[in-house]
Amino acid sequence: MVTKKWRKMVALLTAVTVITASVINVTNYVSAAPADSAETVDTAGGADAAATDNANTTDDKKEEGKEEDTQQVGEDGQVVMDGAVGKVDKSKWITIKNYELMAESDTYKLYFYEPRFSIMLENKQTGKIIESTLSDEKDDGDSNAGWNGRMKSGLDISVIKGIQNTLQADVNSTENTMETTKIDNGFSTKIYFTPYQFGFTVNVTIEGSDLVVTIPDNSIIEEQEGTYISSISVFPFLGYSALDDEEGYMLIPDGNGALINLDNKEGRYVTGFSQMIYGSDPGFVESDTKTYLWEELDMLQDASQVIAPVFGMAHTKDQKGYFAIVEKGEKRASIEAQPNGAMVNYNRCYAKFLIRDLFIQPLNNSNTGTMPRAEEDRTHSDLQVRYMLLSGDDVNYSAMATKYREYLLKNNLLTKKDSSYNTRVDFLGTERENFLLGTRAVTMTTTDDIKDIFGELKNNGVESLLSVYKGWQDGGLYDLPMSKYDADSHIGGNSDLEKLIKDSESSGYKMYLYNDALRLNPSTNTFNFNTIKKINKRAFEEKVWADVYKRFNYLTPESSVEDFTSFVESMNKKELNKVAVAGISDTLFSYSYKSSYFTRNDTADAYTKVLADLDEKADMVLESPNAYLWKSADAFLDMPLGSSDYMYVDEEIPFLSMVLKGTMPMYSNYINFEANKQEFFLQMVEAGVYPSFYLTAENSSKLISTNSADLYSTEYTTYKEAVIDYDKQLRELNAKLGDANIIKHEIKDEGIKVITYSNGVKVYVNYTNSQQIVDGVTVEAMSYSYKAGEAE
Amino acid sequence: MRRKKKILKLMALLLVAMSIIASGMNSVTASAETPYLTYTVDGYGRMEETQTGYLAQDTIIKFGKEFLNGANDMCVTDDGKIYIADTGNARILVGTTDGKLVTTFGTGILKRPMGVFVTEEKHVFVADQNAGAVFEFDESGKVLNTYSKPDSPLYGEGIEFKPLKVIVNKAGMMFIVCESNTNGIVEISPAEGGTFLGYFGTNYASVSLQQIIYRAILTDEQRAKMVSNIPSTPDNLAIDSKGLIYTVTRGDEANTVKKLNIAGANMLRAENYGVYDEAPAAVAVGNHDNIYVASREGYIYEYNDQGEPLYVFGAKDDGTQRVGLSSSLTSIQVGADDSIYVLDSDKNQIQVYRPSEFTQKLHTALNLYAQGKYTESREPLSEVLKMNSMFDYANKAMGRAYYQESNYDEAIRYARLSNDKSGYSDAYWEIRNEWLKANIVKALLFIVGLWILYMVLRTLDRKKKIFDGVRKGKAKIKENRFISNFMYSGYFMRHPIDGSYGIAREGRASWSAPSVILVIFMIEYVINKYLCGFLQKTVREGRYDIGSDIGIIVVVIIALTACNYLICTINEGEGTIKKIYTYFCYSLLPYVVLTPINFVLSHVLTNNEQFLVTLVNVIIYAWVLILAILAIKEVNNYTAKETAKIIFLTIFTILIVALLIFIIYVLWAQVFDFISAVFGEVVYRLGY
Repeated sequence: MVTKKWRKMVALLTAVTVITASVINVTNYVSAAPADSAETVDTAGGADAAATDNANTTDDKKEEGKEEDTQQVGEDGQVVMDGAVGKVDKSKWITIKNYELMAESDTYKLYFYEPRFSIMLENKQTGKIIESTLSDEKDDGDSNAGWNGRMKSGLDISVIKGIQNTLQADVNSTENTMETTKIDNGFSTKIYFTPYQFGFTVNVTIEGSDLVVTIPDNSIIEEQEGTYISSISVFPFLGYSALDDEEGYMLIPDGNGALINLDNKEGRYVTGFSQMIYGSDPGFVESDTKTYLWEELDMLQDASQVIAPVFGMAHTKDQKGYFAIVEKGEKRASIEAQPNGAMVNYNRCYAKFLIRDLFIQPLNNSNTGTMPRAEEDRTHSDLQVRYMLLSGDDVNYSAMATKYREYLLKNNLLTKKDSSYNTRVDFLGTERENFLLGTRAVTMTTTDDIKDIFGELKNNGVESLLSVYKGWQDGGLYDLPMSKYDADSHIGGNSDLEKLIKDSESSGYKMYLYNDALRLNPSTNTFNFNTIKKINKRAFEEKVWADVYKRFNYLTPESSVEDFTSFVESMNKKELNKVAVAGISDTLFSYSYKSSYFTRNDTADAYTKVLADLDEKADMVLESPNAYLWKSADAFLDMPLGSSDYMYVDEEIPFLSMVLKGTMPMYSNYINFEANKQEFFLQMVEAGVYPSFYLTAENSSKLISTNSADLYSTEYTTYKEAVIDYDKQLRELNAKLGDANIIKHEIKDEGIKVITYSNGVKVYVNYTNSQQIVDGVTVEAMSYSYKAGEAE
Repeated sequence: MRRKKKILKLMALLLVAMSIIASGMNSVTASAETPYLTYTVDGYGRMEETQTGYLAQDTIIKFGKEFLNGANDMCVTDDGKIYIADTGNARILVGTTDGKLVTTFGTGILKRPMGVFVTEEKHVFVADQNAGAVFEFDESGKVLNTYSKPDSPLYGEGIEFKPLKVIVNKAGMMFIVCESNTNGIVEISPAEGGTFLGYFGTNYASVSLQQIIYRAILTDEQRAKMVSNIPSTPDNLAIDSKGLIYTVTRGDEANTVKKLNIAGANMLRAENYGVYDEAPAAVAVGNHDNIYVASREGYIYEYNDQGEPLYVFGAKDDGTQRVGLSSSLTSIQVGADDSIYVLDSDKNQIQVYRPSEFTQKLHTALNLYAQGKYTESREPLSEVLKMNSMFDYANKAMGRAYYQESNYDEAIRYARLSNDKSGYSDAYWEIRNEWLKANIVKALLFIVGLWILYMVLRTLDRKKKIFDGVRKGKAKIKENRFISNFMYSGYFMRHPIDGSYGIAREGRASWSAPSVILVIFMIEYVINKYLCGFLQKTVREGRYDIGSDIGIIVVVIIALTACNYLICTINEGEGTIKKIYTYFCYSLLPYVVLTPINFVLSHVLTNNEQFLVTLVNVIIYAWVLILAILAIKEVNNYTAKETAKIIFLTIFTILIVALLIFIIYVLWAQVFDFISAVFGEVVYRLGY
């Protein structure tokens, strides 16, 4: 052991001397020489120069990077690129006659054309065909050779070469070899790109009306040092349409759900929807180029996170389409939905699997010297997308929601929970503000306060309640992490809290203790070093614009699991078991820790396992849980009710709510902070979501010097009436709905929504400013109404 | 806030900041409905997040089939029409707020229309930069008048006429912002085909101390090379129904927004807490005399009629293409229903923002409050505060409303919340008055009682010596060296020259006694800073930074003592370190003795009597200064002239030492950075 350590020391020292020299070089030649050696390149500018150099010398047949494509919007909103190739002569068209029938199920025939790695799916009943690549017939000839090749290829791959990741590979413009064999229900193609010396196997099968495309992890080979696959998109043009040729929409999992219509966008949008499933990766985030007002205020709200790995395409008039679920590899994949005008004139949506990425390695603390690097290893996971092909009356998002719910239940990714109605009333216990050399408690709601409030609500007819107690732990809301049941004395201490929880439980008020199992507060836990580092081995810090605690770290999943387990066990000792889980419910990251790298898959696995293991021991409600945690959640807290307001989105729909309604109770974001309360209320009615309030016994102005200064309106007395009123209205409505599922959601005219439940109840929501009559039901302005179902 | 920002920037530069600028809010309250956040400012100038004030609603991309091309200005009329100066297409486009095309005109006449204004008679005035004229069209697009460069000699001969923006008041006077005309807004009357009336609302060039110093020491040639100090011209302007003119001027800092009366004087007096934009593009007046400013960068500000900030919202598009984010704003207008229209010349679109329920309530309250209907305004104000109890503008208005109703306890509570010092003072005066009325007799009786007690005790003591024991004890304690030294400081304070002699020659210098005084000084300083009366308070309630307060005092005392000693020793001074430390600490005694008085006063005085506190402060500082100077002179045995020299040298030495420490710090920071770079590289290469 000793000698080993000694050797390490020597190695370190030698390295230090060697590298000192090179660092001095680097700092000296920052401006003079862009590239010192192939590897030590300093500053972003230098890297770019080197990158272009590489591009010019290595591959002469390479297509241009995206930046070089220039385009113009022509008449009828058609986008025409410079160097457009023109239309394909009719005699040279590749049509279904050139395709080979590879497999068939009861409903579909699967055809394959190897040179383009293209498939066609023929519906046996209707004869309608879904294409996977741009056909020569529909090719408008407006794009350049590079894009043309990509659009007609069933595979679109981005390549990392050295420190450059703008290269593109597809089967038409990149030399490759393919080897196709038939397998059960489909075929398997082994593909190898010769210039880059990498390849993989794609298995395509048809199971009933499901098309399943898989790339097994062990089939991916990369044989050239420094040349890697960055991302793979399989069948990016599946179900595409040109401009406004087809009526219909694309479904994107933005917020609760959103639709992009397949109409002519007239070249207005240069890019479309492109979001990582389960959010962006903090392990890769750099101190970004965000702009701040007065260099301090962040005015931008982040776009909402993709919670479920799904997307869909519906040609409503032609009655064909699909609903796709990214089944494997989704933890490091993005959903892409590009409307026409985004580079080319076709609407398309697909999943893009990220295999390996570049990251920025800073060489010093001032971040003046950096160099891009590729990840050491790729992400290991099978990649699989399941396309549920739709036809007939099923070509709409209501059917997609139903199919997804059935899929989740069948595969045990979701189990039916008690989804009876509760109003959610959360409380903030204590916070901290700076005082003298340390901090002092700002107590907002004690256990006694809560007891009084519960009593008052009970007397006013609020039968049942779900309540999350935040800031109950010793040290206040941001004393994180917590590894045992330890209530702050300012709220009444352990025994009072225990008594409160047990007493209220017996009267139908369920109290959950809030636990952010992800974050560590370095100011309160100075000697805990189980925190993650980014991929570039720099500590990850979440910076917060606040007075008291300005930064938080993320615990390693291992440490989160340990703390959380011991927390639940110590609760069990007091015969308590209700926990509201935050942090680990909606965050995924790659990280490095003690010289090892971990991927998002590792993180997700750790979280999934601990929640599954503790399922018996604790009742857990999760704060906006990602799809892989749904089976462990007794309730979905903070369900988004809108979308991110992308300009290209034409309609917001409550897609996730339609999937989950009736199987898992969903609670909204806090109503306190909504500027338009009535509209928000109607959105809850529309989505079948239960209301949430965040309350304190004291006036929220007491929080002004704490980290929770953004809680500007929480006083109980202000919201008492609203809680009782909302509870009355929504309890009555939901009593009628029971645990029925939503089977249909329709948008009638502008601002009128009709939601049909499986028990026949119909709910009418009117967002307009005038009274409306729908189906003979009168709905007041900015109000809702419902009609009990006819017997089934 | 802006000035503070600058100081911070400087400090950051000086210290070679290694940290990365903080990123992002971690906010639990955020609703994902809008892509931008809304902030308001509190009474301490701190930005606080609030409910969404305006929701991005419709986006008008085209009117009929007509698209915009780099449009620079628009005018929304009460009948729902939008007149757009479609700069790129060199025409005026008239559409409706729901995106229908009404007409276009001006093609062929206009060259580069930059500004447009529509009068009540529906006459359309267009400022054309390249044509060098303001055109007046009628509703159908017929040219009625053309106003080109005024030939009046008052206009200035060498100055070009390149109109950018134009507004017209009810009398028909045109107010024109011209490119590179620094004289101000050009005012032209329509009489006789355009009569130049003069320049309006001229901005003044400000001269900084730095510039004054430069001018004094630079040669003429160097001075000629300096950027000439010309006043900034307004970037845009607007007019309200009363004929008041609003301008925005970039670089004018706190005076970025001005509300000018007919004489050209700025009527905005209220504190705006540094909430102003650095690149304002346009200004508009709302239906409640509220002022809206659009920033080129995509931010939108709303102020009340006094210029107090209500909201900042909106943001620059980060490439995600979300509704409500902007690229380059050029114009802002307010519709009859309080909707805001902003023109984006880069995205070629008009974005409509609709006020939220919260804003509607705020506007109602604003209206009533501005009219002086305080009591009526309380209802909507409390609605606003229900939705956001930290909305300081509402807190302040609420306090004033309660004051009007003679509910002073509530008034004081709200004034304190919103840091409204004059409101607090007024309400406190009333409360104190009531207290005095009720208790004045009791208080007088109490004082008389005390006096009688004192007299009785004194008489008893004289006759029966009842306090002999106490006196003896006192004398005994005085024998203690420490106590004696400590008491000596009192003597020093009253007789600085004799006192100094004691320190110099009679062994009165010590470490313990002065240190105790220093500690008491620190304690009093901290207590006075954080717990004094609200009106005297310079720091925010609930904010404490005691560590650095004490640190500063310690550093100053050490620097004074050390540098003074260094200088004295080489100038034949007789002071030792101990003596010097002693006299500096003893000199603080007036502060120690008098601050408690100040502290008590600060709790019972209103703004009207604040001069008392100021007076005590002046006495304290003068006394401390005199003690220190006399002590330096006497202890070191200097003449007056020598003393002055020594004081100057001491200050100079302190500066030099500070500079030295700073340089060493910077050098070390470099070394440290280098070492950490090497280490980082090693970690990276070896993968530890």
